[in-house]
Amino acid sequence: MRMKLDRRTFLAGSSALAILPYARFAFAAARTNPIIALDTDIGNLDPGNRVGTTEGNIIRSVCQTLVRFEPGKLTWTNDAAKEIKQISDTEFDFELNPGQMFTGGYGEMTADDVKFSFDRYINGDKNGKKLTYADDMEALKSVEVTGKYTGKLTLKHPSAALWLIGICDASGAILSKKATEELGDKIATTLIGSGPMVLREWRPKEQFVLAANPDYKGPYKAHFEEITGKIIPEHKTSFLSYQAKELDFTAFDADQLDTAKGLADTKVIDIPGIDYTWIGINVEKGDLADLKVRQAIRWAIDIDAIIQGAYSGATSRAKTLLAPGLLGNWADAPLYNRDVAKAQQLLSEAGKSNLTFTFTCLNDATSLAVAQIVQANLAEVGITININAMDSGAYWALGADNASKDLELTLIPYTSKFDPSFQTQWFLASQIGLWNWQRWNSPEFDKLHQEGLETLDKAKREEIYIKMQKLLDESVSCIWITHGRNFFVDATWLKPMFLPNGKDWQFEFFDKA
Amino acid sequence: MSEAIWALKRICSERDGRLGLAFTIAILAFALLGPLVSPDPNVLDIKARFAAPGVAHLLGTDNLGRDLLARTSVGTRYALTLAVLIVVISSVIGSLIGIVAGVAGGWVDRAVTAVFDIVNAFPPLILAFALIALYGKGSATFVFLVTVVFIPQFGRMARARARTLRNLSFIEAERMLAVHPVTIVVRHYLPNVAGPIIVLASMNLPVVIAFEASLSFLGFGVQPPKSSLGTLIKDGFVSINQSWWPTITAALVLAVATLGATLLGEALRRVIDPKSAGAR
Repeated sequence: MRMKLDRRTFLAGSSALAILPYARFAFAAARTNPIIALDTDIGNLDPGNRVGTTEGNIIRSVCQTLVRFEPGKLTWTNDAAKEIKQISDTEFDFELNPGQMFTGGYGEMTADDVKFSFDRYINGDKNGKKLTYADDMEALKSVEVTGKYTGKLTLKHPSAALWLIGICDASGAILSKKATEELGDKIATTLIGSGPMVLREWRPKEQFVLAANPDYKGPYKAHFEEITGKIIPEHKTSFLSYQAKELDFTAFDADQLDTAKGLADTKVIDIPGIDYTWIGINVEKGDLADLKVRQAIRWAIDIDAIIQGAYSGATSRAKTLLAPGLLGNWADAPLYNRDVAKAQQLLSEAGKSNLTFTFTCLNDATSLAVAQIVQANLAEVGITININAMDSGAYWALGADNASKDLELTLIPYTSKFDPSFQTQWFLASQIGLWNWQRWNSPEFDKLHQEGLETLDKAKREEIYIKMQKLLDESVSCIWITHGRNFFVDATWLKPMFLPNGKDWQFEFFDKA
Repeated sequence: MSEAIWALKRICSERDGRLGLAFTIAILAFALLGPLVSPDPNVLDIKARFAAPGVAHLLGTDNLGRDLLARTSVGTRYALTLAVLIVVISSVIGSLIGIVAGVAGGWVDRAVTAVFDIVNAFPPLILAFALIALYGKGSATFVFLVTVVFIPQFGRMARARARTLRNLSFIEAERMLAVHPVTIVVRHYLPNVAGPIIVLASMNLPVVIAFEASLSFLGFGVQPPKSSLGTLIKDGFVSINQSWWPTITAALVLAVATLGATLLGEALRRVIDPKSAGAR
């Protein structure tokens, strides 16, 4: 084919080229299903062994729970359950809705599936290994099947936390017994549910697609045909993508707030955080086993500079594990303001000099900024820090198979839930080798955790959790940084939905504004 | 010495050569003198984060309030040092291996060529990721992996030259006179191989600079608190809404450094190896 380049062809071609960059805006305007960003990829889709919030959010939208959190609230209504009747403080009868079908041809949900799903938390997985999130269901003693759709939950003791962080949440996901047994280890990457959505596609480190489940029989039908989640570990990158109209919803860092406020067709969402980011110190590792060295590190680090430098001063400083507003917040927790002389004195008392440690963190901009401030702070007291920034997949894989044993100092961002026991469980001795990266082992702490689970009286629970935080403080295994603040931008046509912590997203309730 | 001056004059006699030389001298001066006129590149000043260029900080500051002039010049110095080091090591090792293969012939030649082919079969970035996964991040790993990537290039060129020389009559004559092979290599092969190798080395300098910046941009190169042009561009990129100058400055320096080295390398090739230059 021959093409003649005359003036008219040239002008037409140039016009087409000039319009091309705006084509994506046209596509964005025409988009009817949202594309959103998540900073962490799927790690493990087994509800009891999930890694973090990404899986939790997917599991809640794909699987049914007996009761489901209402949109944006901590109250719940029936989902898989037709009825739940409280017999006593420790006994509950449930009846399932009939005709709730598992995807993939795995049949109808029955009370057997509920028993199977919950028994895993009591008895462990098929090899008897304790599930990572077993403590979410700690209060559950047994599940008895009384009919095809009916059963009884019996608790070991009255529990305030069981419904809030267990049965309502991802841990309470009802799995297909047949599918789970058939899939074996593949349940880490395959999610069979009966909920409002299905996980239609997952391309690791790239994206996943959640689609509306046409066979869902419950009351909460998904509003969108599909939601695409792009895995973008760096908030600053996802924010740039949002500005380029490639995304409809993303979290962003505090230092972008002014820019976000100036964006057209955008809502800025600001949710005070209840999460906790801290520097975990491995108390078993070399010189870090010395309390004085840990104390020196705590005095040497300038948390206020971290808040200003890494978080642009947009978030407040944390003093302890439980955020203000949560049951058990230790309001009078001591504040350790930087004191280089004290740090040097402690190092000299410990007889330590020329120490070198590795500081492990995620490789996003905020974590790297924290790491570099810590590096500079500790250099002033003679401690050399080598930064080991890891991508999120490798970083969160440290929570399995004792991979955390060689960590020294680690910047750890964890998500909170609304019962303090969810936060304290990660510091138990049983979590060493899993999520207790400090490897701190305190029988007293463990005992108090159990007491907290078994106590219903609010004032007593408050006392218990404050005591636990005092023990953590004495251990100097954690240097608290911030409870965070959640910033999101979303296109005005989209109405996202999340629970009040800002981290538990309810994909099934995402809707058009 | 007179040959060097002659080459310099030839380079200066053409426009691209002059431009390449000027850019290279400017970058060298920036790398050498920058740190002398700016504060410690690693000192944090959180209150002065994202400061605009001014008297206190000639090129402004980054997200942690560190002086950008200092960090950019130190990053440039780091990139140049690594580039020169890698090119020298890989050219020396590659040349020696290539000459040995070319002179020995037979199974030695086939084995060396096969190894070169294997190394070349890996895309450099993939090979880099694999080696970093094995040996960890850091300057030593970087030098090692880029050297490994470049050795075959120098080796192939040296081997080709050696094979050509091997059959020439004056080499044959020396062999007949039982001159020691090492002496033949030193006396005849090395001087004949040196010209093209120098040209190739100069052409590879900008490649190494850009490669180092790429790896650092991806977080696999130089580690904090040290700076490199790649980390400066990356850090500037993620904060582009707060300040655009860190990215622009580092990108400009990278562009000038690679363009200067490329133009100078091309000019050098035209001077030293006019035959291959004419063949482009």
